[in-house]
Amino acid sequence: MMILKMKKEDLPAFLDSVKEWGELWGPVKKGEKVTYAKVDALSQMDLKATRTIIPPKKFLYPQRFTMFDFDQDGYVERKGDVPKRILFGIHPCDIHGILIMDKLFLENYKDPYYAERREKTLILGHSCIPDDKCMCIATNTDFIAEGFDLFFTDLKMFYLVWVGSTKGHDLVRMRPDLFSRDLDKNDILNYTEYRKWKTAQFKSNVDFTGMPDVFELGYNSPVWDQLGDKCLSCGQCTMVCPTCNCYNQVDEVELGSLEGTRDRFWDSCMFREYSLVAGGHNFRDKRADRLRLWYTHKLQAYIGEFGKPACVGCGRCVATCPVDINVVTVSTALKEQEVGK
Amino acid sequence: MTKQSPKIGVYGFTGCAGDQLMILNCEDQLVDIFGATEVRSFVMAKSDNHEGELDVAFVEGSISTDEQLRRVKEIRERSKVLIAIGTCACHGGPQAMKLGEGKFDEMYKKVYGNAKITLAKAFEAQPVDAFVKVDMYIPGCPIDKTEFLTAVAKLVAGRHPYLYKFPVCTECKWRENECILYNGKFCAGPLTKAGCGAICPSHNIPCVGCWGPTDDLNVSAEYDLLKEKGYKPEEIIQKIKKFGGAKVAQIVGELEKKKKEAKA
Repeated sequence: MMILKMKKEDLPAFLDSVKEWGELWGPVKKGEKVTYAKVDALSQMDLKATRTIIPPKKFLYPQRFTMFDFDQDGYVERKGDVPKRILFGIHPCDIHGILIMDKLFLENYKDPYYAERREKTLILGHSCIPDDKCMCIATNTDFIAEGFDLFFTDLKMFYLVWVGSTKGHDLVRMRPDLFSRDLDKNDILNYTEYRKWKTAQFKSNVDFTGMPDVFELGYNSPVWDQLGDKCLSCGQCTMVCPTCNCYNQVDEVELGSLEGTRDRFWDSCMFREYSLVAGGHNFRDKRADRLRLWYTHKLQAYIGEFGKPACVGCGRCVATCPVDINVVTVSTALKEQEVGK
Repeated sequence: MTKQSPKIGVYGFTGCAGDQLMILNCEDQLVDIFGATEVRSFVMAKSDNHEGELDVAFVEGSISTDEQLRRVKEIRERSKVLIAIGTCACHGGPQAMKLGEGKFDEMYKKVYGNAKITLAKAFEAQPVDAFVKVDMYIPGCPIDKTEFLTAVAKLVAGRHPYLYKFPVCTECKWRENECILYNGKFCAGPLTKAGCGAICPSHNIPCVGCWGPTDDLNVSAEYDLLKEKGYKPEEIIQKIKKFGGAKVAQIVGELEKKKKEAKA
């Protein structure tokens, strides 16, 4: 890890230079919201935006993609057609989300499709200002120390730039003239001040402390049925969650032949089909059971397994669910044993 | 794959024939369809039709006359697999939006007055499965080319076709659209089966539900939400019943019964 300093006015030139490595992607306005889109320059990006509709997981594990082509003799993996991408403006919560994805897709059973995309994607993080839906302070994901190639912290006059990988360092070496290693006392004071300032910006006072116990105590709580009655089973929460990673696979054949493709697409444990098994039995036929699984996984089970929640506090479920079921309302309902209006 | 091409037939009942037209509109694949299958009967596409035993019958439209009922039963008897194509065949279509309200005679009179209709005896339109067993459903208004073609390809290969069972919202989020419902406007996405690629919401037009009900829909939650957003109960019911057909009519009927009981 190394921290460098860059003048803010040098950022456009830097991003212009790194395009030589790969496509440049960043947060761009889409209606009232924001999405990561391919851009030519920094001027097209909206760096003030808090969260994109879908997290950057779509780059590492797309909504629907072809894994391999097959015929009667065997199969050939679809590799090599993934473009090299530089994602600029990724916030700490989303990088924490990527770290959880890395754990699931790269550790015990390495997923070749995820691995290839991760390898070809550079993460250039950027500091952010929390809005009323941000709760990364409650999930301890408001700052980030790993998982990125470069990370830019906006200190008004200049950026402090964390170099998090050798690939990140390679980018710096494309324009060494734009970076400085001369950091003095004022930089340290500015940075300390910035951390205090950011922490003071949070408006949400959600508290996930003790959630594993509350989930255990509330396993049979009637709150789940009440939430189940409200849930639309639309699956949006799953699609927008940076740590939801479940997928379904289907083989598609060409008309009149046995050649075809195996495709993978985002699935959700909120769907009845997800827990349906051969013979017609369904492990979670009730909506309430499916909701309980989702939230237990995020705020209890994952903590038991990995010591931290599988919620990175990005606030997307809060900004997406039409019937107001999200990590805040569910944890509050469980704690207070009442579903809010 | 079987050496003999599967014998198929395409039939239309009460509907706009848009699904048959969509099959004909698969211009790039038509030769493949006619090559991989033996199209025995498809009145809209050819004049040389033979009615006999079929491997797969594709049936479009709802059933609304005694003559259609006789014919769909006869098609069922000589087909190994019967697939309902289009929302009318799968669920009833807009012509079945008043199912369960007991208003058929009134509607009939409004349209035909006292005219004597001798061609056939009509009854309230219902989906195909109200009368005969349906093995598979490919809804849509009209059906989606890709969904239809992938299903046909699987059938020809002797495999079971896979269609999305989740609601439009999932495809809508894949396309990274803002949620219309979250923003307070009527959208039938959560009640409606995916497969259209969320084409309307992707152009900022709310889903009207034309793919028909999804497997696991929560009508009551959608109703409560829309009421909270300021929509009138009659308007909500009318809109969700537009393409909801028999399934939604039944759910709405049960909900209304519950409400009456709660009031009493």
